[in-house]
Order: sequence, then C-alpha cells, then structure tokens
Amino acid sequence: MTFRFRVTLASGFALFGAVAPILAHHSFAAEYDSTKTVTVKGTINKLSWVNPHAYVFVDVKDASGKVTTWAFESLSPNALSRQGWNRNSLKQGEEVTVDGYMAKDGKPLADGSIHANSRAITRADGRKVFVGSSADDVTYK
Amino acid sequence: MSKRHLSSLLAAAAFAATLSLPVASVAQSNAKADAKTGKGKAGQKENAADFQSASTPTPTGPAPKMLDGKPDLSGVWTPGLSFTQMGQVPLQPWADEVYKQRRANLSKDDPEGHCLPAGVPRISPFLQKFVQTPTLLVILDEGNIHSYRQVFLDGRPHLDDPGPLWMGDSIGKWDGDTLVVDTKYLNDKTWLNGQGLPHSEDLHVVERIKRPDLGHLELEITMEDPKAFTKPHTFNRTYLLRPTWEIQEYVCNEFNVDADHLVGK
Repeated sequence: MTFRFRVTLASGFALFGAVAPILAHHSFAAEYDSTKTVTVKGTINKLSWVNPHAYVFVDVKDASGKVTTWAFESLSPNALSRQGWNRNSLKQGEEVTVDGYMAKDGKPLADGSIHANSRAITRADGRKVFVGSSADDVTYK
Repeated sequence: MSKRHLSSLLAAAAFAATLSLPVASVAQSNAKADAKTGKGKAGQKENAADFQSASTPTPTGPAPKMLDGKPDLSGVWTPGLSFTQMGQVPLQPWADEVYKQRRANLSKDDPEGHCLPAGVPRISPFLQKFVQTPTLLVILDEGNIHSYRQVFLDGRPHLDDPGPLWMGDSIGKWDGDTLVVDTKYLNDKTWLNGQGLPHSEDLHVVERIKRPDLGHLELEITMEDPKAFTKPHTFNRTYLLRPTWEIQEYVCNEFNVDADHLVGK
C-alpha cells in the first residue's frame, strides 16, 4: 500500500517554504484516535519547547468562566525550528483555534491538562501556523 | 568548501524557499509497499524526499577527499525518505509472527517510543553528522536519542564478545572508494523499523558507503541473521548533504509523556 501525505505551505510563517510531514518518535495510532477529532478555541497558555515533542497548551473558558487547559502534542523542536518556529512563536494570551485528535486513553497529562495531538493551529487573523500531524507519520504505517 | 561555493548554495536555498512541494508519496517495507517519490514544483525528485525541508537544494560538485586520498564522508546528512525503506525482509516464521503482533498492536511497544536507541541499521528521519578522521568515523545522530556510532578505521578487529550492545561494535575498511562497515554484537531489543521488524542477537550488518559526489551518500546495507531471517537481505539508502544545517539537541527523555499514554489498538 502507498501512503500519501500533503506538504503544505504555512502562509506567512514558514521560513523554508514547505512544511515537512510530521514525524514522531512513537506510533501515532498507538496513542491518538484519528477518528476522534476535536476543535478547540482558546488562548495560548504556553508553547512548551521540549523534546521529544513541543506542546501547545491552550486555555479554554466555558460559559461559566471556568478555564480548562488543553495540551496538544506538536512536532519536535528541531523539526519546528527548520520551519521557522522558535519558542516565542506563539504568544501567551494569543487567541487560537486548534484542530486535533484526542488521546486514546482519555487520561489527562500529569498537570491535569486534556491530552490531544494538534493538526492545525489557526491564529485570530485566520492564518494557519501549523499544519499536519503525526497522524501522517510514515514511520509506523 | 569555498566561500564562493557556499554563497551560491545560499542563493539557491533562498530561491528554493519560494517554492513549495504539494505532494509526496512514500513507501514502507514489509507492508508490501512500492517505493515512490513525489516530484514537486521544484522538479527535483530527491528534494521531495527530504523530510526536513522539502525545498532545500542538494549541492553539486566532486566528492571531497582526505589527505590520504580516501573519500571524506564528513558532513551533515539527511536521509530523506531513505529511513523508511527496507524492502521485503525474509523473516523466519517465528519472527514473522512477532512482526505481525507488533503491527496488530500499532507499534505500541517500539523502543523508540520509550526513548531507547534505534540500533543498527535503523535510523531516525532526522539528521546525521559524519565526522571522519583517517582512523575513525563518528556518526552523530540528531534523532535516535542522540546516539553515536564509532566506526574504527585503524585496522583493529571486532571486540571479543562485549555482550549485546544497542549500537553494536563497528569496524570499517576501504574497498576502493567504498567504506565497508561491519557491525556485530547488537542486542535483540531494537526493532529494525517502526513497524516492528524483529531480529536476533546474531544480526550482522554490513554497510557499503560511497560518496559519488559532494551532495550524496549512497549506502548499500546487507543484514544477515541466521536466527531470524531465511536469507540475507540487502537494501539501499541515499543521504543528502545539508551544508548549511547543523544537528540540534534532541533530548528524548526530557518530556516523554507518550510512554505513559501508548495504549496500542
């Protein structure tokens, strides 16, 4: 079988032009559910610039004002940096919409944040600054 | 490399940065896939196979030589899509059963998911830096938990059974312009690829490495494992030079929360 993936230009963000397919050091399918997609709108809590995956933490406020934090697994910093990212690429408090996939086990990370994998991050002005997901990783297919 | 050469490379890189590659197709080994490489707008097939930056050009020119006349394999290399390609490995029934179980469980227990070394000949999709002296070749992995390999070129024999090792014991000798790297004493904990191809501690790997020109490294890799394979298996990889890039930190255990959340199917 042949797997196809798309290499898409992240407009206005990627320094090198093309965004690479996403790679993980682990099997996406063993950790995330590709059929369980989620879209979350909130504000950036922090971009955690750590290995083996950077994490995008997003605060989501419900109607009652209660804040829930989501943790979206992203690329590794080395791969992100070659696409023009650095640890300041997402500012705390910035409004974003994140499309992603839920973790299979439904368990939060140790800090209590909801665990998911990011596919796309859309900024308030509509620019997508992150495309793809380790769902497309060919290593494990 | 001359400054003039470097500046023309940078100019080419700047030009290529204006291009994007729409689609690439990739292949897998025992998943019975056909190897295909996408051809993008840049018209450079091999660049479409470069995970790290699809539009970065590969430099051209003659391969550099060491002072002793041997080819110099030094450089920062990207494996492109090479890292996924291993062909159809002829497994013995028990090994095929293990492989199928690992596939069925979606590679949940891949040692790499637990930040353990990839072993040999498995590689990560990230960069490798080759540093060559007349008597030693050092291979530094950006990914693969920052593993390193030492390939001794000083004529020494293999170690006398050092016990199973994650990256094995490697010695190399020149066959004309080809470096022949012989690796033994690998443990059986590593997987040959992300899908879970298994091997035994009897795995013996011979890598024949050539640098046909400045920008390319060609590897012909033969694995023999009388306890896990039915016959030796040979496959090829091509690495591309990335002269303006450097390997970066990749400390896998810094925040490997995945290990606690890998549940499989």
